[in-house]
Amino acid sequence: MSGQTAAANVAGQAAQQSGILVKLLIFAAALAFAPVSSYFLSKDYLWDGNAVLAAITAIVAANVVLVTYVILSIREERAALLVSPASRKEPTGESKKEK
Amino acid sequence: MSVCPPYAPFFGFAGVASSMIFSTVGAAYGTSKSGIGIAGLGSFKPELIMKSLIPVVMSGIIAVYGLVVSVLIAGALTPTDYSLYAGFIHLGAGLSCGLTGLAAGYAIGYVGDSCVRAYVYESKVFVSMVLILIFGEVLGLYGLIVALIMNSAATEAGSCTY
Repeated sequence: MSGQTAAANVAGQAAQQSGILVKLLIFAAALAFAPVSSYFLSKDYLWDGNAVLAAITAIVAANVVLVTYVILSIREERAALLVSPASRKEPTGESKKEK
Repeated sequence: MSVCPPYAPFFGFAGVASSMIFSTVGAAYGTSKSGIGIAGLGSFKPELIMKSLIPVVMSGIIAVYGLVVSVLIAGALTPTDYSLYAGFIHLGAGLSCGLTGLAAGYAIGYVGDSCVRAYVYESKVFVSMVLILIFGEVLGLYGLIVALIMNSAATEAGSCTY
């Protein structure tokens, strides 16, 4: 690889990493914020003071965040595969299959 | 022997604390152990990092289970008119959620570490990893369900007459 493509690679990786970092920060904040807020809000406004139903709402909210993360990461991997199939390198996979 | 001794809230607060503490220990173990595997994966295939962070998110949810039970029990504690029966129920609820969260965190940690390392070589491991992680997480959910059932029994406890 020449020096120009190496520099472009580093810049591309930095931009990609900041995008990934922002996404992860948003999910971490959502995982911390969504269950507790849904517990208190649903206890007061939805379930008329019933704490158990509010707890179930909080659990559902936390699992919704988890499922959203799983779906998002699978879609992002599929998008990355479509964009750059040439740069996919599998040296370890090939060496294992040679044996 | 009175039904509502003054030391009854001790057990209630012990339940609140144990729910949060033990589930956090489990979540910390799960996060750190799978983080070791992710660091290993990241040095070979950095494009797989987003997918391999799923064990870390699941460990966070174990801590959220403990947090929700803590908040739930702490909302029912009162300085007066709090029976020893309610105190024991809250202690049991907190321990059930906390220790099952500890077990679930351990499972998620080990599975996350090994499966993430295997994901470097074989991409079909991903689906089985998510399935095993879901089964591990459901252990914490069972503890939470039992804690919810016990807590609803505590709210039905009668008030202190003497």
